[in-house]
Parts: sequence; C-alpha cells; structure tokens
Amino acid sequence: MSGVHADRADAAPAPATAEPARRRVEPSFVIALLGLVVSAYLTVEHYTSPALLACPEGATINCAKVTSSVWSSLLGVPVALLGLLFFVAMSLLVSPAGWRRRVLDPVRVLGAAAGVVMALYLVWVELFRVDALCLWCTGAHLCAVGLLASVLWRVANRERAPG
Amino acid sequence: MPSSSQKSSASGSSSSSARAGARARLAAEQAKQQQRRRRLTWFVLPVVLVVVVVAALVVVKVSGVGDRPVVQPAATGAAADRVVTAVSSVPAAVLDQVGAGSGVTPPKRVDAPALTADGKPRVLYVGAEYCPYCAAERWAVVVAMSRFGTYSGLGQTASAAQDVFPSTPTLSFHGASYTSPTVAFTGVETESNQVAGSGYAPLDSLSAADEQLFSTYNAPPYVESGGSIPFVDVGGTYLISGASFTPQVLQGMTHEQVAAALSDPTSPVARSVDGAANVVTAAVCTTTKQLPAAVCGSAGVQAAAKTLG
Repeated sequence: MSGVHADRADAAPAPATAEPARRRVEPSFVIALLGLVVSAYLTVEHYTSPALLACPEGATINCAKVTSSVWSSLLGVPVALLGLLFFVAMSLLVSPAGWRRRVLDPVRVLGAAAGVVMALYLVWVELFRVDALCLWCTGAHLCAVGLLASVLWRVANRERAPG
Repeated sequence: MPSSSQKSSASGSSSSSARAGARARLAAEQAKQQQRRRRLTWFVLPVVLVVVVVAALVVVKVSGVGDRPVVQPAATGAAADRVVTAVSSVPAAVLDQVGAGSGVTPPKRVDAPALTADGKPRVLYVGAEYCPYCAAERWAVVVAMSRFGTYSGLGQTASAAQDVFPSTPTLSFHGASYTSPTVAFTGVETESNQVAGSGYAPLDSLSAADEQLFSTYNAPPYVESGGSIPFVDVGGTYLISGASFTPQVLQGMTHEQVAAALSDPTSPVARSVDGAANVVTAAVCTTTKQLPAAVCGSAGVQAAAKTLG
C-alpha cells in the first residue's frame, strides 16, 4: 500500500511545524469498556443473587425478573455471560492496537452488528415475553448500539482513504 | 517586453494551470460526495434502521398489540390437609440432619424494643401473596412456628405468574390464626396474587403499631434495602428482609411435592426450607428463653443457632 494512513503505526512523522499529534480517545473503545463493566456486573449477579441487583423493582422496571427469567439463558449459557464475552472480544477489536489492523474491519463491523441484533432480540424478549425492563441490561444494549455506531463511523471515514 | 510567443506561452500555461485547478476541485468535490455516500451507506442507514426497529417495538408494545393476556394464578383457597400436616410435622430427625441447611441467609440481629403480645414474644410476618420471595419464606416460617404452636386456616396459593420465579407454590397467612403457649404470631398479607389495575388487589392491613415498626425497622441501617418483603421481625431481636433462600428450589413443584420433600433431608427443598426453618426457630428461641427445650435444644436448632449473629 502506498502513501500514508493515519491509522498505521508506521505512519510518516508529522512535519516539524505541525502541532504535536494529540492522543485521541477512541470512542468505540470507551463504549466497549463500558459495556464490559455492565455485562461483568450482570454476570456476577447472575451467578450470585439476582435479587441483589441495584435496580428499582416495579411493574415495568424489574431487573431480577428479567435476569432470572427462563429467557436469561440461551442454549444453557447465561445471556449475561454471552454479553461479557462479546464485550471482551469487541474491546480487543476496537482497542487502539486493534484498530491498527485494518484487515479486521469486517470482523469489527460484523461483530458489532451481531451485538446489536442480539440486543434487539433481548429488547423484544423484555417487552413481549418477560413484560419488564432491566436497567442494567438496557445499559448493555445501549453500549452495543453505540459500539456499532462508533465502529461504522470510524470505518466509513477511513474506508478508501488516501493510500 | 515579452515577445508574442512568450505571451502565448504564458497564456497557455495559465489556462493549463486553471484547468488543472478545476480538475483538482472537481476531484475534491467528487471525493467529498463519495465520502458522503460512504457515510450514508455505512453509518447513517444502519443506525437509522436500529432506531426504527426499536421505535417500532416500543410503539407496538405501548399500543398493546401483541400483548399476551394477563395470566391470573388460581385464587387462594384453604390449604389441603395433607399439605398442612406435612409442613407442620416435619420429623425432628430430618430437621436435625439438615441443621442450618445450605444457601440460607441468617436473620440480622437488631437491638430494638421487645415485640410482644399477651406477655409473649411476638413474631411479625409481612408479605404479599403475589411476591415470590414471600412464597418461599412462608414454608420456612410455617415449619418453624409449627414447632411452637398450631396454625389454623392457612391458605394455599402461588406467587404471581408474571413475576420472577412465577407461580411459586406457597401457603398464605391471610385469614389464618395461630395459637402457642410460648410465642405469638401475626401474619399480614398486604396484597393478593390477583392482578388489579397496574398492581395487585389489596388484602390485609397492618395495624398502626406494626406499620410504624415496619417503616422503622425495614429500612437501613437495620436492613440492607428498605421496604422489601417478606419482612419478619422476631420479637424485636432478629429481622429477616427478603427471602432466606432462593425461590428457585421450589420452581415447577406442586404444594404436595414441596410438602413431601420437606421430610427428605437430602432434597434441595429440605436443605433450603428446613434449614431456614431451623434458623428461624433458633432466632425465636432467643426470645422464648430457649423454650420449649425439646425444640430449642435440638441438634438442628443448635447448629442453626451458630449462624445467628
């Protein structure tokens, strides 16, 4: 590949007159880490006591009702654990080091899209099967959507960039 | 003075440079348009699609289309004799073998004014029939209190079908009475398991004194989170807020199956319910001066007493 790509670690140094490059916070990485924390909390609660989730317990908002329902596992694997594994994988893929591997872009996009599809499925389950919403789960779902948006934005802005 | 050929050459060079500039601007414009198309294809459309799907789900939910009909659990009826008999006469040998059981959260020691009635220490239970955690706790409370006295008029019901641990089989204190020479008992079921409006139909009311006690001691720092049910005050000495064990062990069982399992010390139900019952018994014994001795001095209760704070 000829030319210089901003994402490459071996990018040409900036001209001496240019301002020193500021270390940019990678939004997708921040969102993935946030999702990681939320899903880790849900996983711990799943394996300890779902009744202890810090979440209001009412007719509409009821975390324990959602996380202890029959829908809280998929093929015998707790959904919370699946979420944790997802955010672990995505955190690696969208880490600053991960973004330098442009060949992983399709994996990033497909992974983030799979996360959103799963989130939409779980929102459907909450609304139409469990009849309750879990605030922590909603936080994880928002992270999945935000992750997809940030990954797409990043890919769209560097796809076919010079070089 | 430049010659005419020089002028021509300069003019040609200028128009060539203008054309190159125009081409560059055109290329830049095309690149911008490409970038906009890429953003539209890669970013805007998928994100809009997600937002539309979520909005559609919410609209369908709010409009009520696709809602499943509310499932009302069977209304509370009188408990079957064989169930009451099995629960109120769990063999002492089984209770001794179970001891403190497994997965049982002990009550919390509290320094509150003694809770009494008719000169006897009193146990106050506050719950609701729809509540799955109350459903689990009632089994243990009935097993424990049956060692000090006798219930009559116990109901047989199940927790709400829509809640967590749906339709957990249980008994009900609504309309029940209790007699004992050593301890008094008050069982209050504030709501039924029948859906009414956005909640459940009201049932029993707390007395003003018990309401005051409930609001005072069912709140931090006495318990971890305020207002939880079930709430059990054992003579002002120990508090239970929330189930002592997970209702999961009762899932899918009938009342008869639960009652029968209480006499099998190896069953998960006995390990949870009988274990919690021994712990409650040990707590009650601290208020009855360890009477009756046959109960309070039993191996199961003594083992459970060690878990009390």
